[in-house]
Amino acid sequence: MSIVEIRNLSFAYSSQKPIIDQFSLSIEKGEIVGILGPSGSGKSTLLRLIAGLETPSGGTVAISGKTVVDSRTFVPPERRGVGMVFQDYALFPHMTAAQNVAFGLHRLDKSSRWKRLREMFELVQLTGYEKRYPHELSGGQQQRVALARALAPKPSVLLMDEPFSNLDAGLRAAIRNELRDILRKAQMTCLLVTHDHQDVEAICDRTVMIS
Amino acid sequence: MRFAHAMRGIRKQTNGWLFVGLTGAAVVLLPVFSIFISLFHPPNENWQHIKQYLLKDYVLQTIWLVLFTGIFTVLIGVALAWLIAAYDFPMKRFFRWALVLPLAVPPYIAAYTYGTMLSYTGVVQKTLRWFEVPVNPRFFDVMSLRGAIFIFTLVLFPYVYMITRAFLERQSGSYIENAVLLGRSPASIFVRIVLPISRPAIAGGLTLVLFEVVSDYGLTSYYGIRTISTAIFQTWFGMYDVDSAVRLAAWLMAGIVGLFILERALRSHRKFSASTSKSRPLVPKKLRGIRASAALLFCGAVFAFSFLIPFVQLLVWAFWSYEDVLTSGFLDLTYNTLSVALISTAIILFFSVAAANVCRLQANGFAYVLSKLVTAGYSIPGAIIAVGVLALFIRLDQQLAPLYARMGLGESPLVLSMSLVMLVTAYVARFMAVGYNAVEAGFEKIGTQYTEASRLLGHGITRTFFKVDLPMIRGALFSGAILTFVEMVKELPLALLLRPFNFETLATKTYQYASDERIYEAAVPSLFIIGVSFISVVVFHQLGKKLER
Repeated sequence: MSIVEIRNLSFAYSSQKPIIDQFSLSIEKGEIVGILGPSGSGKSTLLRLIAGLETPSGGTVAISGKTVVDSRTFVPPERRGVGMVFQDYALFPHMTAAQNVAFGLHRLDKSSRWKRLREMFELVQLTGYEKRYPHELSGGQQQRVALARALAPKPSVLLMDEPFSNLDAGLRAAIRNELRDILRKAQMTCLLVTHDHQDVEAICDRTVMIS
Repeated sequence: MRFAHAMRGIRKQTNGWLFVGLTGAAVVLLPVFSIFISLFHPPNENWQHIKQYLLKDYVLQTIWLVLFTGIFTVLIGVALAWLIAAYDFPMKRFFRWALVLPLAVPPYIAAYTYGTMLSYTGVVQKTLRWFEVPVNPRFFDVMSLRGAIFIFTLVLFPYVYMITRAFLERQSGSYIENAVLLGRSPASIFVRIVLPISRPAIAGGLTLVLFEVVSDYGLTSYYGIRTISTAIFQTWFGMYDVDSAVRLAAWLMAGIVGLFILERALRSHRKFSASTSKSRPLVPKKLRGIRASAALLFCGAVFAFSFLIPFVQLLVWAFWSYEDVLTSGFLDLTYNTLSVALISTAIILFFSVAAANVCRLQANGFAYVLSKLVTAGYSIPGAIIAVGVLALFIRLDQQLAPLYARMGLGESPLVLSMSLVMLVTAYVARFMAVGYNAVEAGFEKIGTQYTEASRLLGHGITRTFFKVDLPMIRGALFSGAILTFVEMVKELPLALLLRPFNFETLATKTYQYASDERIYEAAVPSLFIIGVSFISVVVFHQLGKKLER
C-alpha cells in the first residue's frame, strides 16, 4: 500500500496560471523520493499542499489510505500525521532544543515522552545539547534538531523543503550521508524537494522531475 | 463542484477565532451603521434651520482649518525631518527625539495654555507692558481660526516629522548621494529629490494630522470655532437633537471618505518602488558656523514653542494650585480614568489578537476586508462614534424595555445608556486600530512559519497560539497595550459625552476647569495627562529603534 497517494493535484493563486497542474505521485512505505526542479516550479507548494498548509484547487491527496483533501474534505495540518523540516528550520526561538523536540509529543505520557526524547537526541547525535537554545547551535546542529523534532511524533511521512540550502558547501556532503543514515535507521518515508541534483543522487531511491 | 469547494473553504476557516474577530469588527461598525439607519428618519425643523443657515459655515471653517494646518504641519515637519536626517549640528541627537514630544500635549491642553498665556492678563502681554512695549492685543488674539491653526500645527507636526524622518534616514541615501555627485545644489536636491521620493511618508503623516484636526472637539470648542465636529456636539448637548447630530455626522463621514480618496490619489500614482533593493542609510553632512547656529535655532524655536514653553507654564500654574487640586477627589478622578482605560485596553487587545490572528491565518480577500473593518474606527472622528454609540444604545434600551420591566426596573428606563458600558464601547470602537496595528506588526515580524511548524507537530490553532505565537508577540502586545491605554487617558470628546452622570476623568475635569476659567487648577491634571502620554512617546520611540535594528 502506498503511504502517500497524490492524484491530479492542481494549485493556482487566484486567477493565475496554475503553479501545479494535474500532478500525480505515489510513494511506497520506507521510500525516499526526491523532487527536483528549478526555483519557482512549485516544489515547495507541493509539500505545503500535502501538509495542509495550502488548499489545492483540484485533485486529491491520501495519506496512509485516508483521504486528507479532495473537493469536499480538508483535514487540517495538525491531524494529517505529516512531519516537515522547513527550509530555515523554524525552531521555536523561545524554547530549548529539548523543548522543541518534545513539542510534538504532547500526546505521550511523561515517561514515554522522556524516552522518545532521549532516542531522538541519540538518533541525531546531539546528546548533551538538550538545554541549548536554537541561537546557541550551529547551522548543522539546528538542522538536526529540526529533523529530530519532525521525526519525534512518528509521522507517516516526512517532508523536507530544501534541507541543505542553509548549509555551506563543505558541510553538505557530510550531512547528506548523515541524513540518509538517519532516515534509513528510522525507516522513514520521505519526500524531499531540492534544486540540486547532488542531493537526490546521494539520498533518494527515486527522483521525480518537475518543471 | 464549485459549491463543494466553497463549503470546504467555509468549514476549514470557521472556528472560535473567526467569531471573536467578527464580533470585534461588529463593535467598530455598529455605531457607524446606526448612523446610517437614523438617516432614514425624516429630518426635523432643526435640521432645516441648520442646513439653511449654519451648515455652510461649519463646512467652510472645517475646510480652512484642515487646509492650513495641513500646509503648515507639512512645511515644518518636512523641513525638520530633512534637517535632522541630512545634517549634523550641535544638539541634533537631542532634538531628534525631543521634537516628537509635542505629541504628548493634547491639543485642548495646548489651547487653553496658550489662550491664557497670550491673553490680556497673561504672562506675555503683562511682560511686554512692563517693558513698556506698545502691544496691539489683536496681534495676540489666539482664540480664533488663526490661533487654532497655530496650536494644531505646533502639537501635530511631529506626525509628519516622525514618519518623514524615519523614511529619509533609512531609504534615501543612494538617491541623494547620486544627486550630489551630479552636481545639484542642496536646495534643488530638496525640491527635486527629497520632496518627491518622500511623498508617501509625508502623506502618511499628514493623514494622521488631518484626522486629529477633523476629530478635535476640545481645542475648537474652547476657541469657539465651529467645525462640523463641534457642531455635532452642540446640536446634541445644546439642543438635545440627536437626529440632527446624526445628520451632521453623516456629512462629516462623507468628508472623511473624501479625505481617504485624496490620500489614495496622493499615494497611488507615484507608488514607485525602489529600483535597488538595498536602501542605504543617509550619511549626515556636518554643518558649521552660521549654518549650524541657524539649524540649532530653528529646532530650538520649534521645540520651545511646541513643548517647552507650555510645559513650563503648566508647571508654574500647577505649583500655584496643587494644594487645592490634589484632594481625595483627584484620586477618584485618576482611579476613574485609569480603570476605564484599563478595561477598554483589555477588551481591545482581546479582539485585536483574535482578528489579527484570523487575518494572518487566512491571508485572503476576506481577511483583508476584516482587517480594514477592525481598523476603521481610527479614521472615524470621535464625534461620529459618540453619536453612533448613543443612537445605538438608546435603541438597545428601547428594545430591552420589556426585559427591564420584568426585572422590576420600571417602564422604559435607560439602563445601558446611563452606564459605563457605553463609554467603553465607544473607546473600543475608536481605538481598536491602535491595538490591532501593534498586534499585527508583532505577527508580521514572526511570520507564519512557527505556527505552521507547530500545527504540523499536532497542535491546533488555539494551542499553537498560547504555546508558540503568544510568547513571541509578547513585546508587541505590551507596546500595543501602552499605546492604546494612553490614547484613552488623553481622550476628551467621547468621555465628555458618553460618561455616566457624575463620572469624571482627568481629561473631562481638565476641560471643565478650563471652560470655567479656572486655568491654574487645570494645570495639575494636564501635567498628569502629559506625563502618561510622555510614556507612550518613549515607548513608541523605543519601538522605532527596535524596528530599525
